[in-house]
Amino acid sequence: MDFIGNNTRTGCVLPKEMDGDMIRQWAQKALSSICLAAAACSVGAHPETARAATDQLGREVRIPAQVRRIVSLAPSITEILFALGAGHRVKGVTRFSNFPPEAETLPKVGSYVHLDLEKIVALRPDLCIAVKDGNPKDVIDRLDHLGIPVYAVDPRNLQAVKDTILEIGALLDVMPDARRLVGEMDRRIRRITSKTAGVTHRPTVFFQIGISPIVSAGTDTFIHELITLSGGINLAQGPVPYPRFSREQILALSPEVFIITSMARGAIFERIRSEWRRWPQIPAVKKDRIHLIDSDLVDRASPRLVEGLEILARLIHPTLFRAAP
Amino acid sequence: MIAPRASLPRRILFVTLFFGAALCIAGVFGLSLGSSEGAFSEMLRAVMGQETADPMIGAIIWKIRLPRVLMAALVGGTLALGGLVFQALLRNPLAEPYILGISGGSAIGAIIGILMGLSRFPGVSLFAFLGSLSTLAVILLMASGKGMLKKDALLLSGVMINAFCGAVIMFLVSMTQDARLHNIIFWLMGDLSLIGLPQVGILAILLLPCFVLLFYLSHTMNLLLLGKEMAQTMGVNIVAATLTLLGVTSFTVSITVSHCGLLGFVGLVMPHLLRLALGADHRVLVPACLFGGGTYMILCDLLARSLPDQGEIPVGVITAMIGAPVFIFLLIQSKK
Amino acid sequence: MKTALSISELRHTYGEDITLKNLSFSVGEGAFFIIIGPNGSGKTTLMKIIAGIEKYKNGRVSVFDKPDHRYSRKELARVMAYVPQVFPVDFPFTVKEVVMMGRAPHMGVLGFEQEPDFRIAEAAMAFTGIKGLSERKMDRISGGERQRAIIARALCQDPRIVLLDEPTASLDLSHQIRIMDLMERLKEEKKMTVVMVSHDVNLAALYADTLLILKDGEAVGMGSPARVLTFENLEKAYGCTLLVDQSPLGGLPRVSPVPQKFIRASRADHELHRGRDA
Repeated sequence: MDFIGNNTRTGCVLPKEMDGDMIRQWAQKALSSICLAAAACSVGAHPETARAATDQLGREVRIPAQVRRIVSLAPSITEILFALGAGHRVKGVTRFSNFPPEAETLPKVGSYVHLDLEKIVALRPDLCIAVKDGNPKDVIDRLDHLGIPVYAVDPRNLQAVKDTILEIGALLDVMPDARRLVGEMDRRIRRITSKTAGVTHRPTVFFQIGISPIVSAGTDTFIHELITLSGGINLAQGPVPYPRFSREQILALSPEVFIITSMARGAIFERIRSEWRRWPQIPAVKKDRIHLIDSDLVDRASPRLVEGLEILARLIHPTLFRAAP
Repeated sequence: MIAPRASLPRRILFVTLFFGAALCIAGVFGLSLGSSEGAFSEMLRAVMGQETADPMIGAIIWKIRLPRVLMAALVGGTLALGGLVFQALLRNPLAEPYILGISGGSAIGAIIGILMGLSRFPGVSLFAFLGSLSTLAVILLMASGKGMLKKDALLLSGVMINAFCGAVIMFLVSMTQDARLHNIIFWLMGDLSLIGLPQVGILAILLLPCFVLLFYLSHTMNLLLLGKEMAQTMGVNIVAATLTLLGVTSFTVSITVSHCGLLGFVGLVMPHLLRLALGADHRVLVPACLFGGGTYMILCDLLARSLPDQGEIPVGVITAMIGAPVFIFLLIQSKK
Repeated sequence: MKTALSISELRHTYGEDITLKNLSFSVGEGAFFIIIGPNGSGKTTLMKIIAGIEKYKNGRVSVFDKPDHRYSRKELARVMAYVPQVFPVDFPFTVKEVVMMGRAPHMGVLGFEQEPDFRIAEAAMAFTGIKGLSERKMDRISGGERQRAIIARALCQDPRIVLLDEPTASLDLSHQIRIMDLMERLKEEKKMTVVMVSHDVNLAALYADTLLILKDGEAVGMGSPARVLTFENLEKAYGCTLLVDQSPLGGLPRVSPVPQKFIRASRADHELHRGRDA
């Protein structure tokens, strides 16, 4: 029953760029498979019984016929759920689920690395949606034993985020919204990539996450993917997901653009900027290309990654992209 | 203050009943209160075994809270008792259960397990346990020979090993950037939120005989406090007694820590508090620490999970926030 | 008279150093036996070997004609009690609790005391004169009172031999006499054998039945104070000039150290000393 989205297991690598038709065909196939499976399960069983599905970790999950109460176990999932129009079905979120604003008023079930089992159970969810990177496996197992279905996803890159949106759309029976959302995302991405694919010069970008020590993002991150798609070169690319740099190393790398994440808000950003201004030999400083970006837009596995992409593209290739219409 | 005239068996009985009752009451509170909203009276009825309107209450109480409360009782008792025994063995009132490298070794083991992506049970806990055994072995080797019975040799080795491990831990932590960092931090601070009934069962089976053994050796601890020379001339086999106390206590603390992380302050504060109230006789202090430590931990865990609205505070923070002022107060008192 | 303790060809080394060289002596039952000698003479090592705290490889130590290794630890504790020179007081035991611990060799591991044990403890405290202190904490009483509490504990072991390692070392004069008188009473009233290490030669001289002078792990002399406390023996042991005369107290020997300013001795004075030893 291993057909949904799990690229490595099926051995079929879905191409990074998919157009609307292909998505539609693929999703229809998925949907019909679920229905078949549900039909198969419901032979001899109560018509209201759950259907079975396999999540992205290969786990068998029993999804109830009606999913009315969802608990999101990560801020990225919260965003996806609301973007799919299923926000009214979300009954509990984790602590840092700050988008959309409505999510902040929902009951909190702890942070995504330290979930409060009791609060989750008290919310009586029909379904919990978890992320592999962060949610402790032990809590997922406990929820399982308590009879609460937990569907785990692992959106590691932009494509996987889109697949996840479609999967969740299938789970919640909102496929049209899911397809629309993914289609919109694809359109916006294409608008960027169509211009950046053919640039002659790809500026070097240093993306600064940490302040002290200075930390950047390696190849296996959203940040790297977005920088690459926006036509830049991520100077921190490499196997280490969050490598550390000394000032010397950065001086040697000579970035053309500095992008600093908004963990360093307000006054701290100013301090960082004035720090870098002490080194005018760096091209980014000379041309005053030191910018701030909201970290939620570039490291959260949500539809807003596209927004982050657009901002990055504007910062990296200002001549190609005017201010957003 | 317990009447000094009362005979010893009666004092032990009184202490056991008193603190045992406190433990049970704390347990009832622990089961009836928590982070979910539910009328306290409803919860209480469920705990007492009566039917409730909402079946989910039963699930919360028996499946989520019960393992935590039981584990808190076991952990609190183990750590308080561990502190008591190490204070007697090392004849040092500042000794606490982690002093012989258990904190350093188990933390390194746990961090390695977490970095490898293992789940808490049995993966991380196994690594933590092996880690603490390794450091204990190193300490015993370092302090071996005739020097082993010199209390300062053990203490010094323990302090050095813990310091070294601390450096390794900080290095490992600094190298970690992702979500596993949070898991590591929570482990280091002590965390009862992942405990299930199977873990409680295993620990109960392993720990209860150890508690009985430690009570059996409680008078021996009294004698050891007169100094190893006098104890020997009063019939105590110093080597056997020291090794047994060391081994059993290290085992209980290690196995507890490997499941729950480094919960602090119980092992240091509880023995002092109880010694102040009940005197220095270990035959009374062992049951008092056992039940008193358990009660304290249940209450701290209850506060940790029910106080904040956003999600629980690590219970190690609560034990420290309550424990530290109490300890300072005790110090001031003892100077008078 | 029975032999309480018998030491035969005892040798002890500490690493490269030889601390005790071929010691042989015996202590009769009911005797007040005091071991004196300068620092490093091996007195404390000898005491610890007798008490069973220190191991030895060569020689034999017998307690009441039975070799010490034939006793179990508890059996030995019922025959011999040990009072060390220093003991830790970092835990708040009461005097009564410490004294009661002396009953340990007669009880099970948990040491639940019975009526007879309480009576023995009370008697021991009465004997050592600390009855009123029973509920006081050990760290709140004076050094002398603490010493007597530890001795009371030793008496609770109901021993036949009491070993004391420099019991008067840190006490003031009144307490020193008090302890020594206590030991005398133990000997007279309870017929106990008292074996003591002392650094105070004069105190030893006033009380001992038998003195053993040690120097560098060897016996320099053994016998009654009058016989053993000679100018030669003392000079050999302590390596300095000492004046020995007779104390007005019972004609017992009295040893006085001689300050430098008095050693421009005339030959006549010197003769005087030598004449003493005839």
